[in-house]
Amino acid sequence: MPARLPPLDDETLHALIPRLRRFARSLASDAAAADDLVQTALERALTRGFDVREPAALQAWLFSVLYRAFVDEHRRAVRWKRIARLFSAEDEASPPPPDRVFDARTSLAGFASLTPEQRALLMLVSVEGLAYREAADALGIPVGTVMSRLSRARRALRAMQEETPPTSALKALR
Amino acid sequence: MTIKTLHDAPTDDELHAYVDGRLDPARRAAVVAWLEANSERAAQVEGWKRDAERLRVLAANPEHWVPNAALTPAQVRRGLQARRRRRMGIAASWVFAFVIGGGAGWQMRDLHPAPSSLPMADAVAAYRQFAEADAPPMEFDTARADDLQRWLQRHFGEAGRVPDLSQAGYRLMGGRLLSTEQGAAAMLVYQDGSGARVGFYLRPRGRLAGDGQRRDGDLLAQYWSHRGTSFALVSDAADAAARALPRLLENG
Repeated sequence: MPARLPPLDDETLHALIPRLRRFARSLASDAAAADDLVQTALERALTRGFDVREPAALQAWLFSVLYRAFVDEHRRAVRWKRIARLFSAEDEASPPPPDRVFDARTSLAGFASLTPEQRALLMLVSVEGLAYREAADALGIPVGTVMSRLSRARRALRAMQEETPPTSALKALR
Repeated sequence: MTIKTLHDAPTDDELHAYVDGRLDPARRAAVVAWLEANSERAAQVEGWKRDAERLRVLAANPEHWVPNAALTPAQVRRGLQARRRRRMGIAASWVFAFVIGGGAGWQMRDLHPAPSSLPMADAVAAYRQFAEADAPPMEFDTARADDLQRWLQRHFGEAGRVPDLSQAGYRLMGGRLLSTEQGAAAMLVYQDGSGARVGFYLRPRGRLAGDGQRRDGDLLAQYWSHRGTSFALVSDAADAAARALPRLLENG
């Protein structure tokens, strides 16, 4: 008999929130949107429950829930933009909103210009230290795609670094 | 480049695994040795490492960010509960509306007193209201036949299908949903090439004793039941062709 999943305990979840916020900040256009994403992810997590035997697995799962929420949100936004364009006379070709946290001025030129998929992967692999397999699961892609996306992301970032040399010393993110 | 270094040349994937510290020690040593001999790739790999390090520094210490009070598990739980309560409220108001609506429908029914002791009197009444030539338009016309089919299936399960009477020369004109003492009912109206109409009626089985037929003024109702559903075919009493339809409906 499949047992009902035990409810997530608040303390375990609480400890992971800063990392979820950080991951969300690398995806969303601003801090408020990022926190909204975290909230959606927490809601989904608390509604569904998770078998917490491995904290590491829980973390990877939460990243995947958050990423899923971002993708859903993103799709909705794109759809909405398309509809909105039907009603607006001017041809607004607005560039993607710059990510103020991972800004060009803060020494990692171009991170914000990567695609959200590339940013998510670099965050999970380089910052969160997820194994390739875990990152693949969190993003819902095969490991092979992780490797090719990682390669493209790093080359793109490198190319932009070479174009725009860092103008200031390393700054920690606020 | 010597034969040996060619042989040892790491793949792109291995170079990334090296950057991320995911190579086993032996392979790692081989990659380090190869990079020493290949300065161009070594510079690229160094760049990747540096970028990763910068990203880590940029993203360091998220626990020191200004906290957001909405993002605590307790707060999120409270939000979820509040939302659930709101949904329950909405659901309750739907039920309320349904009861009121049903009540109103029931009173309407009393305005057309049908001798309810007669079998399938409701079918005949429905036919008079909806299948006569001057009836208002169907709520399910043929363009929405799929919706009608779905609705029937939901309420009547296996019995709830839109019969195909084309074999007998009748085509579907549309359908109407009704409310009866026994529950939801439907009247499907068909017409043949000469303009003769028949109504196929179905509703949950009530106290209907058995199969049969009866005349009601100028109309003929042929009725039968199967499992939990009662059916009636209502037609002009003079329409001889319609008398063969129940057999077609029962078998089809």
